[in-house]
Amino acid sequence: MAATVKFQDVNVGDELPPVSKVVKREEVKAYADASGDQNPLHQDDAFAQSVGFPGIIAHGMFSMAHVATAITDWLGDPGALKRMKVQFRAVVFMDETLVARGRIETLDAATKRARLSVWAEVDRGGQRQLVIKNSEAEVQLA
Amino acid sequence: MPLNQSLKGKEYQEVAFRVDPGHVVRFADAIGDSNPVFRDPEAARALGYPEQIAPPTFVTVMQIMTSGQVVVDPELGLNYALVVHGEQEYEWERPVRVGETLRATPRIVDIYARGPNEFVVIEADIRDEAGNPFAASRTTLLSRGTASGAS
Repeated sequence: MAATVKFQDVNVGDELPPVSKVVKREEVKAYADASGDQNPLHQDDAFAQSVGFPGIIAHGMFSMAHVATAITDWLGDPGALKRMKVQFRAVVFMDETLVARGRIETLDAATKRARLSVWAEVDRGGQRQLVIKNSEAEVQLA
Repeated sequence: MPLNQSLKGKEYQEVAFRVDPGHVVRFADAIGDSNPVFRDPEAARALGYPEQIAPPTFVTVMQIMTSGQVVVDPELGLNYALVVHGEQEYEWERPVRVGETLRATPRIVDIYARGPNEFVVIEADIRDEAGNPFAASRTTLLSRGTASGAS
């Protein structure tokens, strides 16, 4: 139960390796079933269109989960993620590429904890859209 | 129509559910996280855990159950079609393990307006079988355009 990232090996400003994935309809459906969030906005194109979207959107929590994966892939131990706070600021459509990113903002030598800023983005017609922004995580380093 | 501010502090029913290994695998598959510690007890033991663990945001299953009670509470007056998930915060002392039963009791900790929108903040401590909290959820729901005076 320990991260593979060592406190002495990191610095403020270091960025996590970005993790990208293409958001597929089948995954969003699987997420609805696994999470229990069956809001039709994430499954029914006609419903999504009735509230002004071109089609279904991914769950905000689906994007949060992707950011968490980027953090725990970097850490090497999912248990080293201690806190995470995200703001959902834009929607994600099907077949968009969601990129999760993070950067070390502060380091505490006494506890070997790091505070990260984290965000997730998609490229929409050449414009970067921040799906998750003003968000942070606290991790326990080795 | 504005939300019922008097529900600030209201506590809802406890929810409980047992963490099924197959459910954890389905969740890990759905979020595209291929880490073997969510699927293979040996991989989890190699990392020092007694059993398979769940991805950190697996607690969302609990969050949906707890916030769900608030969303459908007729006393609060939320219009589901206008609700957006604004913010989510989780804290974890340790990962969720397969086979354990989780319990949580949601409560509304705040209801406020900002501009045309209203916000409902729901907190729930997630407890283990002995009743000890080891994770926490704080959910902010946004109710679009329902503040008093919003057109």
